[in-house]
Amino acid sequence: MLNIILYIIGLVISLIIVVKSADVFVDNLVEIGSTLGISEIILGVTASAIGTSLPEFGSALIASLSGSVDIGVGTVIGSNIWNIAGILGISATVSGVIRTNKKGLTRDWLMTLITGIILLIFMFFGDIHWSASIIMVAAYGYYLYLLIKSQREQNHVNSSEEEKIDESGNNQNKRNIDKKTIALVVIGLIGLIIGCRILVFSGVELARIAGIPAMIMGLFTLAIGTSIPELVVTLSSAMKGLHDLSIGTVLGSNTFNILIGIGIPALVMTVPVEPLSLTFDAPVMLFITILLMVLIRAGKMKLNRIAGIILVASYITYAVFRLFILV
Amino acid sequence: MYEKILVATMGEYMDEILENTIDVVSGKDVEIIGIYVVDISVPFLTPVRVKNMMHKELTMRGREILNSMEKQLQEVCKGIKFKKVLLEGNPAEEIVKTAENEAVDLIVMSTGKSRVDKHLLGSVSEKVVHSAPCSVLLVRIN
Repeated sequence: MLNIILYIIGLVISLIIVVKSADVFVDNLVEIGSTLGISEIILGVTASAIGTSLPEFGSALIASLSGSVDIGVGTVIGSNIWNIAGILGISATVSGVIRTNKKGLTRDWLMTLITGIILLIFMFFGDIHWSASIIMVAAYGYYLYLLIKSQREQNHVNSSEEEKIDESGNNQNKRNIDKKTIALVVIGLIGLIIGCRILVFSGVELARIAGIPAMIMGLFTLAIGTSIPELVVTLSSAMKGLHDLSIGTVLGSNTFNILIGIGIPALVMTVPVEPLSLTFDAPVMLFITILLMVLIRAGKMKLNRIAGIILVASYITYAVFRLFILV
Repeated sequence: MYEKILVATMGEYMDEILENTIDVVSGKDVEIIGIYVVDISVPFLTPVRVKNMMHKELTMRGREILNSMEKQLQEVCKGIKFKKVLLEGNPAEEIVKTAENEAVDLIVMSTGKSRVDKHLLGSVSEKVVHSAPCSVLLVRIN
């Protein structure tokens, strides 16, 4: 019993360490990038895209490297289902409505859907190898390029003059990189690695003690835990009416989770595919992604409270099936 | 009757709020203070850069709303005295504090959240009504 309590405490503390470390790491990396003269647009888009997903990526990578590949894949697929059905569902239910920007939504949603289909195809052919990994990482590079291009166009429309001033300002204000910033990047990275290691260890041990498969632990406990940044960002931005940030965070995170969260671990080692992941989890992930668009279209490009409740109900149904019927 | 009016909005239902404000001030020598409060509270574990991004977006939105409010009021009530107040903090507390500091006679704001919304999101107008130092005109939105 004492062991279980200790592992649960370990899980909670490591989650906080992971989330805070990812925050410190990305913030200071952006600071260094800015000092080196990298465009604010590129830095902003990249930081937003990867920032909230680092905990999933970190735990998937650490899990794979420490031999618990199942837990890594489970965390990624579980996170993606939770992000849409759980987080967007809860946010739409609480805030009453999440409005969408048609152009951005279509791009991000299509990318999330295509990414899910790519993963399913790779899973269909068996374990995921380095060759698949290269395609996944390249696809993410292309997605980042699209995001940066779109942000540039938007900034150009909004204030071309302002951007010029900013860019010239950037070039003139190249400074030396502050030692404290480098130290914080290192501390953030170390915190992320140690936090993810404790997180995965506690998850694996809890699964062993409870007698449940590590995949289940990844699909639910770690998936929901590592998605805390997405939850707080999506919920609070939906409540404040910052709708683009709300839905963009979730869809961007799902694309990152698959292409990088599975892509990078597959680069260093073969990622095995569990039959149930291929026949149930990944199809559910695709179904939820499609359901999201159906609900948004039915709500005239808004995700309303009823749609939110449908998404949450879908997640509960999935969890019940996965935990009690198919396990 | 009213000499100084505080018009509070978060950007929604501006037309209805302004329509009622204009009705109250028409033909009188009144000073209007438009207020927008940037709600800076975020949950624990919100990434710092996201918090900053939200702060920036909401501040920009607040400026746009106050500018639009001024423009619409000036169009109808020519020469009316208008002051913009953009603050950060808890919306209800800042509205009440500003009403006290500026010694306004009336606060105009909207109300119309459903019972579910009030439970889930809270109601700024309800909090203001309970601690306002002056009369409050709640514009009912259906």
